[in-house]
Amino acid sequence: MIKTNVIIIGGGATGCGIARDLALRGIPHCLVEKGDFAAGATGACHGLLHSGGRYAVTDPVAARECYEENLILRKIGEKCVEQTGGLFVRLPGDSKRFREVFLRGCEQVGLPAEVISASKALELVPSLNPKLEEAIRVPDCSIDPFRLCMLNIRTSELRGGIIYTRHKVTEIIQSHGRCTGIKATDQSTGEIREIHGSIIVNATGAWADMVASLAGSEVPMTLVKGALVITNHRLTDMVINRLRHPSDGDIIVPNEAVCLAGTTSLAIEDPDNLVIQSPEVDTIIGEAGRMIPHFNNTRIIRAFSGVRPLLKSKKADSHEISRGFQIIDHQNGMFSIVGGKLSTFRLMAEKMVDCIMHSFNLKKPCETADIPLDGQEELSGYPLAKRLVDMKNVVCECELVHRQDVERIIKQMATRNVGDIQHRTRLGMGPCQGGFCTFRALGIMNDMNVLSPEQSMDMLRGFLQRRFRGIRYALWGDQLREEQLVEYIYLGILAMEEKP
Amino acid sequence: MSVTEYDVVIIGAGVAGLTAGALLAGRGLKVALVTKGEPTACLSTGGIDVCSRHENPLPGIQGLPPEHPYHLVSEEVIRQSLHDFQAAMADAHLPYCGGVEKNRSILSALGTSKISCLVPSTMAAAPRNTTESIHIITFKGLKDFYPGYIVSRRRNTKFSVYDAGVSTTMSLASRFEEKEFLETFLPWMENLNIKEDRIAFPAVLGLESAAEIVRTISMRAGKPVFEIPTIPPSMPGRRLFNALKKNFRQKGGTIYWAWPVVSTEKTGSVVEAVTTVSAGRPNSINARAFILSTGSFVGGGLTATRQTILENVFHLPVHIPGARETWFDNDYFSLNHGIGKAGILADQSMRPTGADWKNVFVCGSILANTEILKNGCGHGLALATANAAAQSCAEYLSDEL
Repeated sequence: MIKTNVIIIGGGATGCGIARDLALRGIPHCLVEKGDFAAGATGACHGLLHSGGRYAVTDPVAARECYEENLILRKIGEKCVEQTGGLFVRLPGDSKRFREVFLRGCEQVGLPAEVISASKALELVPSLNPKLEEAIRVPDCSIDPFRLCMLNIRTSELRGGIIYTRHKVTEIIQSHGRCTGIKATDQSTGEIREIHGSIIVNATGAWADMVASLAGSEVPMTLVKGALVITNHRLTDMVINRLRHPSDGDIIVPNEAVCLAGTTSLAIEDPDNLVIQSPEVDTIIGEAGRMIPHFNNTRIIRAFSGVRPLLKSKKADSHEISRGFQIIDHQNGMFSIVGGKLSTFRLMAEKMVDCIMHSFNLKKPCETADIPLDGQEELSGYPLAKRLVDMKNVVCECELVHRQDVERIIKQMATRNVGDIQHRTRLGMGPCQGGFCTFRALGIMNDMNVLSPEQSMDMLRGFLQRRFRGIRYALWGDQLREEQLVEYIYLGILAMEEKP
Repeated sequence: MSVTEYDVVIIGAGVAGLTAGALLAGRGLKVALVTKGEPTACLSTGGIDVCSRHENPLPGIQGLPPEHPYHLVSEEVIRQSLHDFQAAMADAHLPYCGGVEKNRSILSALGTSKISCLVPSTMAAAPRNTTESIHIITFKGLKDFYPGYIVSRRRNTKFSVYDAGVSTTMSLASRFEEKEFLETFLPWMENLNIKEDRIAFPAVLGLESAAEIVRTISMRAGKPVFEIPTIPPSMPGRRLFNALKKNFRQKGGTIYWAWPVVSTEKTGSVVEAVTTVSAGRPNSINARAFILSTGSFVGGGLTATRQTILENVFHLPVHIPGARETWFDNDYFSLNHGIGKAGILADQSMRPTGADWKNVFVCGSILANTEILKNGCGHGLALATANAAAQSCAEYLSDEL
């Protein structure tokens, strides 16, 4: 049994941010996550660090929070933020009146927004639709959500925080009407861990109501699914937004070698059962193609969706529901923190930890806005030239990941999950989506004796099914070709459909 | 534009195209084959899957759905095509074992049984049961073969690792072609004092003379030796491609390498020429008949867009299995993806249905309703339909004269 002060449930940006904040204020804590970090909405978003522009018209409070956090994250998280800048482009037929409302909104929020001519915009982003009327430049950035979580967790680890990934909370222990701990099941061994603490923070996003219900509490939310597609190329170096009322398919975000485009907005019931429809994919591509025409012909390597856990609202159009956040004190030792955005995760964590400090009667102020994220120095040693030196040992040709990188992660984390390797090295993130390299990564684990051969086969099966769920909505053209090849390899050459 | 005249132009250099080409050239016709590059055969295990979902291929074929293109070919032609293939490969020093009466199994790199019909002689000594013990010899740094997968399924398996100084399948295969290399390797292997019943290698034992290399190793070890096919690039697939190429050329055929077809010339119901581009210069190749064997999606014969599926050379009507949502099943391993049915429908004469062209014949995996993975019928179907298409094409040409 483990004893700590605060138990955080959920390893998304919010949970990881809370762990870092608690660590910096010296509060012992333990974070429990059922999958890997950033496995929910954090990892399934477009990776935009909002300037606030998107909400300047509809939600000025969220817009202001976004802009302030944007400034802070650029300062403290240099290595996971790319300062791309962003454009809101107005295309022929887009309302000119919205432009005025938008500019006024930005001014009221205090967000720098500069109107630039079509020719200047095309100079900045040559792939833009040459017919655009004009653009407004805002300080949007692209952010790596997974890296962000890892760096926040690093501070916690360095200061004695206890972290359990792949542990699912199955019970909240209560005594005299107060939550006093949790039981969590190790997802790979089935072992049950008991952790005691005086405060429980439920930072589980779309799963908040389910977790709260373990303690007999409720978290009213509206779950809204957003679908996104990933391209094989980086079609723009700046974030491209459509200058119009928030609607489907109005954003393209560059990230490393690829671009993400989205999103759609559909209310759903079950966050564990997400389906993407072909029309959603077609809408995103069609709309993105209006901003960057080449989008229509580019190769889409994956379509995926995440769930925005939004505060319950009566508004019919989910684009209109507030992106603000809320802390719910369940009055039983458990808090739930819901709503908000990736861009404002740090602020959410700060407010949450302020509440915790208040209930402990402690006064230490928040420092997360002033201290750079720990562990960023390790992220600099990843230039392409370095990766090209030793091609012989490259196991993932798409993303140039070496056997040594894979072995290092396996040793560091003692992981048995190929997803852990993928998140930390980008193995399998390229055009073949792990078709070749996962066979190798699991083979390496097998060689290193961290995985029983039966497990590696199960993992491979599980991986291929999961991978397929991601790519099956983007299968046409070259990606379909690639998929047919991978299917031929596993089911034809390797005769994998034969059950052991 | 340069213009060249042939009796038959084959488009596509896979098993189907090279086989049809060799048959027609063997009849004294002037045959050219144009290809934009290496065929998917180079990615294959090299084995000839005829109908792997049934213990015996021929009854298996009879049980296939009525729309399956195997039913366009008589059993006699299927038998003959496999027989001819085996004879041609024996001549090319790439002997194949097995026969049409019964399927056999080879060991896959995951330790599962891969069912095939005719298998390269280098894989023939795979164990028939799980009680026999195996010693795998693999190579340091080889990233496409992990013996652990096999050990997981076969407890009585051991493995050793040899440092060959190179680590890709292609470079290992060329090392095995060097006499001096083999002379260093063999004593190393003898020193292992292998106790297991059989010795297995990833399929890297040479490119030109694999059958002989396997024989040599087997004699030195005094035990059966066999190869296990690897993920692409696959040496057995490349050996098959090389042998088929050699056979086609020996029969008098000409190959235009890296000449993708960009357009066709048609008059009435006859295709007169295909135009290809090589080094930027268009070349028109006239012929009296054409055989389309460009493969399915991976081979490049078909292209799927978000809205439809296209045939890339003659723009033939494509049998489309339904709307995009239905192309793939939710279960990756179901082998029931609708896309497997996409392709060109053909009649008994192997002419595409729904098109006017009387001098165009279709064969191989571009045909509709093949469901190659589900039925385990890749190269076998290619051989059978290539024979049928070549026959039909030859009849058309002799009638025309």
